[in-house]
Amino acid sequence: MLKALGTEMKSVIGEEKIIERKVEEQPHPLGNGGKITVLPSTEEEIAAVVKYANENGMTITVTGTGTKRGFGGTIEDADILLSLENYHGIVEHTVGDMTITVKSGTKFEELQRYLQKHKQKIPLDPAWPENATIGGVIAVNDSGPKRFRNGSARDVVIGLRTVYPNGSVIRSGGKVVKNVAGYDMNKLFIGSMGTLGVLTEITMKLRPLPEYESLLLLSFPKGGMEEIRSFAVRLLDTMLEPVTLELINPVLAEKLTGQSTYTLAIGFEDVESSVHYQEEYVKKIHPEAQLTILQEDDSREFWQQFYQIGPKGTDSPSKLVTEASMKIGVKNMAIPEVIKESVHLQDMYNLEVFAHGGLGHGLCQVHLKGAAQDIKSALTHLRNLVKDLGGNSVIKYLPLTLRKEMDVWGEKPSYFFLLEGIKKKIDPKKTLNNQRFVGGI
Amino acid sequence: MAMKGLKIKDKHIRSLANLLSGPKPILYHKEDLLAYDCDGFTIERHLPKAVVFPKNTEEVAAIVKYCHENMLPFLARGAGTGLSGGAIPLNNEVVISLTRMKKLLSVDLENRIAVVEPGFVNLKLTNSIADKGYYYAPDPSSQYACTIGGNVAENAGGAHCLKYGVTTNHILGLELVLPNGEIIEIGKDGIPDSPGYDLLGLLTGSEGTLGIVTKITVRVLKNPEDKQTVLAYFDRVEDGSQAVSDIISTGIVPAALEMMDKTAIEAVEAAAFPVGHPRDIAAVLLIEVDGISSGIEEQISKILKVCKSRNVREVKVAESERERARWWANRKTGFGAMGAISPNYLVQDGVIPRSRLPEVLKKINEISEESGLRIANIFHAGDGNLHPLVLFDARVPGETERAIEAGSACLKVCADVGGTITGEHGVGIEKREEMRFVFTDEEIVAQTDVREVFNPDNLLNAGKLFPTPGRCAEVKKELKASTS
Ligand SMILES: Cc1cc2nc3c(=O)[nH]c(=O)nc-3n(C[C@H](O)[C@H](O)[C@H](O)COP(=O)(O)OP(=O)(O)OC[C@H]3O[C@@H](n4cnc5c(N)ncnc54)[C@H](O)[C@@H]3O)c2cc1C
Repeated sequence: MLKALGTEMKSVIGEEKIIERKVEEQPHPLGNGGKITVLPSTEEEIAAVVKYANENGMTITVTGTGTKRGFGGTIEDADILLSLENYHGIVEHTVGDMTITVKSGTKFEELQRYLQKHKQKIPLDPAWPENATIGGVIAVNDSGPKRFRNGSARDVVIGLRTVYPNGSVIRSGGKVVKNVAGYDMNKLFIGSMGTLGVLTEITMKLRPLPEYESLLLLSFPKGGMEEIRSFAVRLLDTMLEPVTLELINPVLAEKLTGQSTYTLAIGFEDVESSVHYQEEYVKKIHPEAQLTILQEDDSREFWQQFYQIGPKGTDSPSKLVTEASMKIGVKNMAIPEVIKESVHLQDMYNLEVFAHGGLGHGLCQVHLKGAAQDIKSALTHLRNLVKDLGGNSVIKYLPLTLRKEMDVWGEKPSYFFLLEGIKKKIDPKKTLNNQRFVGGI
Repeated sequence: MAMKGLKIKDKHIRSLANLLSGPKPILYHKEDLLAYDCDGFTIERHLPKAVVFPKNTEEVAAIVKYCHENMLPFLARGAGTGLSGGAIPLNNEVVISLTRMKKLLSVDLENRIAVVEPGFVNLKLTNSIADKGYYYAPDPSSQYACTIGGNVAENAGGAHCLKYGVTTNHILGLELVLPNGEIIEIGKDGIPDSPGYDLLGLLTGSEGTLGIVTKITVRVLKNPEDKQTVLAYFDRVEDGSQAVSDIISTGIVPAALEMMDKTAIEAVEAAAFPVGHPRDIAAVLLIEVDGISSGIEEQISKILKVCKSRNVREVKVAESERERARWWANRKTGFGAMGAISPNYLVQDGVIPRSRLPEVLKKINEISEESGLRIANIFHAGDGNLHPLVLFDARVPGETERAIEAGSACLKVCADVGGTITGEHGVGIEKREEMRFVFTDEEIVAQTDVREVFNPDNLLNAGKLFPTPGRCAEVKKELKASTS
């Protein structure tokens, strides 16, 4: 069977771009693999593979480098693992227009490093920037604390080229920063978990690199959520322009700063005078605050470390402990409640829990480590809390065996038929990333 | 119910009237319908079957359900300021006017959200929260009249969208009546990233062809600490355009960066809000920066330096809020000002990569000369969104057609330099054929496929946004060839 697949693929793409799995090799414990791996390096090759698979009833898992392998999906192996790792590079960077078009397999940090030379950046701050490909970041709609000021993928992407399951290349959006010609199809693909098409080229708007940055770490040793909340409300009601307002639980704070207290990470990016002015202002609002200020490189280093705290799909999961991550969306001011609960979970289920959430953007990330059964209980516990808060929760990382036991996407939305309808129109044979998304789409 | 006792002959109108409450909830006499035969795009006119004024979501749903069951075409209408003909009843639609659903439902400043009904007027939102120091960012020049429902449908932009984004970047939740009458809610309480495809993003800018928006949750922002506004006059358009590029590449993100050319200046100075722009200059730039005070001084001095290096004739910083407001009123009433120098005008809405500005303006000038029609340019220079205004006189036979052609030619120029045919006004009726400048047939079908999921019977706002299918035309041609 494997051999036959390999032979078939050779009629579509060069032999050197196909990796057949050795017989003794086990499927990946995170699933989302493929019986054979193909590594196309052009859009034509991607289209050829997808078209062939679609016409011949084969299934495809799409992947970049695999940092999100533990996110969604209940299938161990599709027929083909389509890896975009060898499809990378910058297609066009118009410095004066502040736009860039890149191939989807390009690593995020590589792009940022290149743009740095032009004093520009992609205004996104996803996890694992060294490893994550831009295609993956966009396909799962990953965002970090700086989303508060910079927005998320939907605010940054202005154009896409997408290979549809039938092999045709569909362009959406364009290369200009404002565009309402036709439906805003970009939005459909951002966060679609690769279930509609394979993103090949991504055009984004850029922002200037800030001239100066600093990070205020404000600790709340008493741990009173009301104190944190009311401080945040006061801060948000000033005309300060923080880039982040991220609440970090004590265990994570200890790892990042050495101090085991609830900590607010308040970032500023602007010209230097304005950054310092804002630091002083924060001190004025909360004079008794315990405060550390990280300037420039120290701030950047903090964030670098920060983006590496969750489990990473490229690592083999440990056999001894189970890891999981949950992304939670609630109203901004409900964030402290979620973070506080994450601390309870540690004692209740004997887990290590890293949690942080943005009081300016309403998203929390909770990373859990412990015994499988406890993890399951803790996730259910969190999910119920979030439901009571009227929010949404998605499990972003979990080993395959557990993903089969609990639906990582939670309840289907009432308008699920629309989501399903879109999938059926575009990928009626479920060729791409089958069962990776909400409601088994 | 209020219509009981009246003798209405048309059975559908009778039934529709029975689904509504409040005074005069339906119009159906020809003389009443005339006001609804077009929107801000006045070149094409069609009468609706009736106009209904629902008071709440349930009434909208009941009307839609009735239309769906009886295969009556229908569409939504806000303030009717749309410039591409989106609210024009091409198919004798029942027009569902949302103007009576105009409440501000709630404001939650702690979470920075507000919930409005679709007929709530854009500017009223900012006015309602200004005393607390907050505002709603998308600011189309029509904001004193247009509705937030219409803004969502068109994904409206405005002068300050350069820094803060357009409507889609500020919409957090929608309640929607689907074309079969079903009510759905997406993005409850404005909570981000509902699992599933981003329907909020898809619906915003769908020009009222996928559903009728009945409730909107938007993000509101805190006023910046400070803002400053600069006016710069240039003797050469090229210098003005270069200054735009230079400002952007110094790393400043201005809150707004607007430009007007000589013809536009002639118009705004002849209209209601003149500010004394010299008549002989080629271009004026209106530049605004906002943010933390101490940062602003630095940015302003950089901007002044750029302007000087590009041979600016005169550059000044607004000295008071009053002066600033006058400059903005002069700019924001720019379209209407054309009335002062021309009987009719047609607004276009192309977008280009900003670095191509000088060459595109030159080509637009050529189009003007070839067509024999004056073209004024008012535009959001910072994001490359041009508004060529083609001036014409509809009383002169053939001039309307020439104006339409010239407008289309401007869009072709934009598309050819890697831009697009509309940045904020939408495709509507007006730019259906121009969609082919930017999309292949296959890409257009990809979009109509999505429409079919929401609007399978195409009863809602049919005939908008997409060109008549090219394939059909070809098939017909082939048929003709084979039969002859
Ligand atoms: C002088 C002038 C200046 C303008 N300046 C700008 C500008 O700076 N930026 C800009 O972007 N636009 C501008 N416009 C265009 C226009 O104001 C916008 O497109 C606005 O968003 C339309 O809102 P409306 O309420 O008038 O909608 P309408 O014109 O009534 O409708 C527009 C479209 O939206 C649909 N629609 C309306 N309400 C709903 C709803 N509740 N649910 C679903 N669909 C709905 C309609 O079916 C139609 O297709 C300007 C127009 C004028 C006349």
